[in-house]
Amino acid sequence: MSVDLAFASVIDLARMIARKEVSPVEVVRVHLERIAARDGSLRAYITVCAEAASEAARTAEAALMSGRPAGPLHGVPIALKDLYDTAGVATTAGSKILAGRVPATDATVVRRLREAGAIVLGKLHMVEFAYGPEGLNAHHGAPRNPWDADAERMPGGSSSGSGVAVAAGLAPAALGSDTGGSIRIPASLCGITGLKPTYGRVSRAGVLPLAWSMDHVGPMTRTVADSALLLRAIAGYDPADASSSVLPVPDYLAALTGDVKGLRVGLLRDFFLSSATAEVRAAVETAARALQGAGALVDEVALPKVAHVAAASYAVVASEALAYHTSWLATRAGEYDPEVRKRLQLGAFISGAHYVRGQQARALVRDEIDAALAQRDVLLAPATPLTAPRLDERQTTLGDGPSDVRGALIRLTRPFNCSGHPACAVPCGFSAQGLPIGMQLVGRPFDEVTVLRAADAYQRLTDWHTRRPVLA
Amino acid sequence: MSEVFDAEALSRAARLAGVDWTPEELEAARPAVEAARHLLATLDALPLDGVEPTTQYRIL
Repeated sequence: MSVDLAFASVIDLARMIARKEVSPVEVVRVHLERIAARDGSLRAYITVCAEAASEAARTAEAALMSGRPAGPLHGVPIALKDLYDTAGVATTAGSKILAGRVPATDATVVRRLREAGAIVLGKLHMVEFAYGPEGLNAHHGAPRNPWDADAERMPGGSSSGSGVAVAAGLAPAALGSDTGGSIRIPASLCGITGLKPTYGRVSRAGVLPLAWSMDHVGPMTRTVADSALLLRAIAGYDPADASSSVLPVPDYLAALTGDVKGLRVGLLRDFFLSSATAEVRAAVETAARALQGAGALVDEVALPKVAHVAAASYAVVASEALAYHTSWLATRAGEYDPEVRKRLQLGAFISGAHYVRGQQARALVRDEIDAALAQRDVLLAPATPLTAPRLDERQTTLGDGPSDVRGALIRLTRPFNCSGHPACAVPCGFSAQGLPIGMQLVGRPFDEVTVLRAADAYQRLTDWHTRRPVLA
Repeated sequence: MSEVFDAEALSRAARLAGVDWTPEELEAARPAVEAARHLLATLDALPLDGVEPTTQYRIL
């Protein structure tokens, strides 16, 4: 049977490599050729590590042939959002300010991926310093959403290159980061799977920050099972990250039974489904019925305190981001994307008291979500209330009225950055225009097992995640 | 907390935060500043007495 290596899953690639059915050299070559052919128009990558990846593939092949033990990702190429420190490879956060910055060491999660056998293909495009959900970048040009490249649709951000690369077969998997939805938004708009783990589950050491208390690190893949495999590789306590948890890391892959009988699913209607466009709402409601048909117990639940998330998130993210950027804003302000600079500078008008009130409001939201999950195993909602907007679109109309595009994209994801709960976005349909629709499943803190089990079960019931964009 | 900022107040707040804006930039930013202040004022109306600020989940 012929396998399209560019769209094979991480699990299949790892299995085929371990069985010597395919060489890591061949897998890396296929991806590098595809990047060379496609990335000029898609713009997923900022840096392609062609030589280093090829050399690592040859080393991986030699290790296999000599019978040395292989890790679970042995020989599998993976790409990284350009805010993960990579030893010897430029890490710029999509900015001019950090152009030419070459870290001496890997971020903890990069080191863990390499220890598991993964090969770094390159560094992926992103919104400058991760501050924006549209996926735009004035310095590098916006990556193109592969589902509608001609019409120039947003890929979503800030992990824009991660979404595009995985959707277009330019990488089997990527790491993104998520401060207000930056993993789940591009996953939703690009039709892939994106997992934001619980705050503290994955180390942030060596990952350039946007807002320390909201930043989450996680995988972006084409299947839930691949995200489960990657999470196992990167999760766990790290003394270099004071917020990382000492809780043991389960075998997430082993937990994917496909069984959702008796699983209690809370469908979030008010604020979530009610703000979605009709197509998105219908797709998520259909997904809820699919889970119900497989034995899940679905009811509706409301989270009225998420109405405070916009203010709380703004107070916290803008203040923390300004703190990180203060010295550069004073000396190199002209080197920022003007839009990003403006967002950062607006943080100057937030008082210390409002920052603390924002953190207090987060506690209210967290407690309300905890209460909902005391009676349920997961919550279900759209990941984004709309499909990919055009690159030049600034205003849109949602199910509950007009909205600016930026606020619309981030509206349904950031409640779970405020609360820290794990959330996984998966594709659940396509619009009449052929654009992906995404939903998210949210679970209890550190219960990624249940979130992944539910999301994987949904992917076993449907084929949305198997569809591929037709590239020009 | 939804007061209107005059030019001097905007300038003073920017300087306090180390943000070097020209008068034109300050004026251009005024609508965004006022919208942000309005948003933040909603936090003042919340029942937050006795609520401990959260910076991370219960990690242990």
